Amino acid sequence: MLARPVIFAGAAAALVAAAAVSPAHAQEVVSGPASVEQQCFTPFAEDTKFFKFPGKEPPYKIALANGFVGNTWRIQMIKTLKAYSEQPEVAPLIDELKIVSTGTDVSAQIAAIDNFINSGFDAILTIAVNPTAFGPVIRRAKRAGVVLVPFDNVLDTDEVLQVNQDQLEMGRIMGQWLEKHLSGSGKVLEVRGLQGNSVDRDRHLGFREVMDGKDYEIIEVVGNWDDGTAQKVVADAVAVHGQFDGMYVQGGSTGAVRALMDAGHPFIPVSGEGENGFRKLCSQHSGDGLKCSSAVQSPGLVAIAAKTALTALQGETLPQYVSVPIPLTEDPDWEPGVNYFPDLTDNFFAANAWPPCGVNITATEIMAKTEADQ
Amino acid sequence: MKDTRLWLAQNYGPLLAFIVFALMFYTFIARHPVGLTVPVATTAANKAVLLALIGMAQTVPVLTGGLDLSVGFMVVMTNTVASVIVVGSPLQTALGVIGVLAVGMTAGFINGAIVVYGRLQPIITTLATGAVYFGIALFIRPIPGGTVNYDFADFMTFTVFETIPTTLVLLLIVVVFIWIPFRRSTLGRGCYAAGSAEGAAYLSGVNIDRSKLAAYTMSGLLCAIAGLVLTFITGSGEASGPQGATFTLASIAAVVIGGTSLYGGTGTAIGSIFGAFILRTIDDLLFVFDLPPLWQPLFQGVVLLTAVSLGAFAVIRIRNRLDLFQ
Repeated sequence: MLARPVIFAGAAAALVAAAAVSPAHAQEVVSGPASVEQQCFTPFAEDTKFFKFPGKEPPYKIALANGFVGNTWRIQMIKTLKAYSEQPEVAPLIDELKIVSTGTDVSAQIAAIDNFINSGFDAILTIAVNPTAFGPVIRRAKRAGVVLVPFDNVLDTDEVLQVNQDQLEMGRIMGQWLEKHLSGSGKVLEVRGLQGNSVDRDRHLGFREVMDGKDYEIIEVVGNWDDGTAQKVVADAVAVHGQFDGMYVQGGSTGAVRALMDAGHPFIPVSGEGENGFRKLCSQHSGDGLKCSSAVQSPGLVAIAAKTALTALQGETLPQYVSVPIPLTEDPDWEPGVNYFPDLTDNFFAANAWPPCGVNITATEIMAKTEADQ
Repeated sequence: MKDTRLWLAQNYGPLLAFIVFALMFYTFIARHPVGLTVPVATTAANKAVLLALIGMAQTVPVLTGGLDLSVGFMVVMTNTVASVIVVGSPLQTALGVIGVLAVGMTAGFINGAIVVYGRLQPIITTLATGAVYFGIALFIRPIPGGTVNYDFADFMTFTVFETIPTTLVLLLIVVVFIWIPFRRSTLGRGCYAAGSAEGAAYLSGVNIDRSKLAAYTMSGLLCAIAGLVLTFITGSGEASGPQGATFTLASIAAVVIGGTSLYGGTGTAIGSIFGAFILRTIDDLLFVFDLPPLWQPLFQGVVLLTAVSLGAFAVIRIRNRLDLFQ
């Protein structure tokens, strides 16, 4: 009984507040290009829309509504966001940074976003657990004038700002690099990722776009982006198919290379993900013939998503879908302490710098967050 | 006086769950930056009612001494069905809703039939049928999508008269018009009897088979209602394995926190409602307390363990465990 008048009062307040803020905070579709840092905020496609939000005075309240937590990528992502928010040029823009992880339940993640909207946050970053379920909450965010920025696992919509790397392009880059080292023919092992996932599909299609129709024999195995699984399937493939001339690993690259070494397979050109362990092996055995290229879907993407949100809140024009440049390192450019870290674990994702975006978070800054958390 | 004490003794679990929930929710609101506004209440209600319905769906088979591992997947399956048929004109939408409820009841009935006539253990049966239902969900929606009737979904996840969350009203309707009549019916009482002493109930002429069939069918119906709520919240359908597994585990936790014995025979779906509310409020507490993100799962686990242990006090207090069965 007591709750009711409170709810009434709250309703009245909310209505007044809603009436007062909504027109001023509507996002507009404008013509491009981005009004600042065009080399960083590149549109995903030629027909990508451009958004302009009404400018607000900093500092802002920023939230991350994360879904699943519990693999190294997500943990590093959360640490990276904290490290980014404390960088000297970013810190003054942020009044409050709140991070909540809701697990795999889509209704809990939607409620988390709603909670942030209800509490007056200015921008919400999210890695969506499902690409289609966020339609209703997108409408609520728009109504409240909140900048919602999905990244990594993006949504099937062009109604909100989104940030991701072009996975198709990533597959292509890896294919082109392998081609350079194989010169048109040979037996290639392709280690794919988690089946049914759009990232796996796109990287595969990009890779095949480059490789198909030429004189390659491609053997496909599924490694689930996991070192253990990749190691096992590569070992099996070597046992069954004998010697390969090149390998493309979507993820779990450390395990895949270890499998080659364990099988006594000669070193070959390998294009892989950005795991620190993979890069350690690559630099160590570069002279023995292990030529690598390493492109990363980096947890540091969160920093670009945050930068996008902060820029939008300042009233700048931005592409609706920001295509983040793919951080790529090729043999023989291995530099300890810069693009791989001999002292850090194999699971660390080793690329966290985007010079075009002015974002450079060092491994020490990210790992310092570990100390603070413990 | 004696009646009050008896009532208290019988409803110890649900009552405790209610008090714990009230305390937790009060803490949440007290620390919330804007307090209890309609949007805050609606957000909390939508996700809490979804889980409450799934908790209720789990309660009924548990009362008969069984366990239904397929509840989460029945929700996911009905969600995918709803994303296909709850569309279009108001009439079409209404027919779609009835269709979804029918699908849920059929799935529950199949569970019940296998348990009763196939004489298989409920856990194994529902583990298998859960996989089947998930398979059907994948077949219906290989990739997430669908557009449900937006106006209807919006109304169902918003408020009645701009004050009370619609989902809370829905839950009240389910309790008053589905749960309470079922509990008071011969079938409902049969479920309790089957769960507490199946042999004695059988010898006393209780139709155990029919009660168990009814229990699983009821579970399917409640899952279908939950599936609809999930569809209204997400506006689409997805055949998500992790989602189904999460729901199933949460439903068992809700049942236990709500004071229902996993051995069957004692408890009530009302307790599970508050059990589910507690689970959801744990998540909300993460929002108002500034915990380091990587500590959040630990915090959730500790609170959950405490909540489950509170239910066990009922067992610790009594001198002789046989008292429980009297």
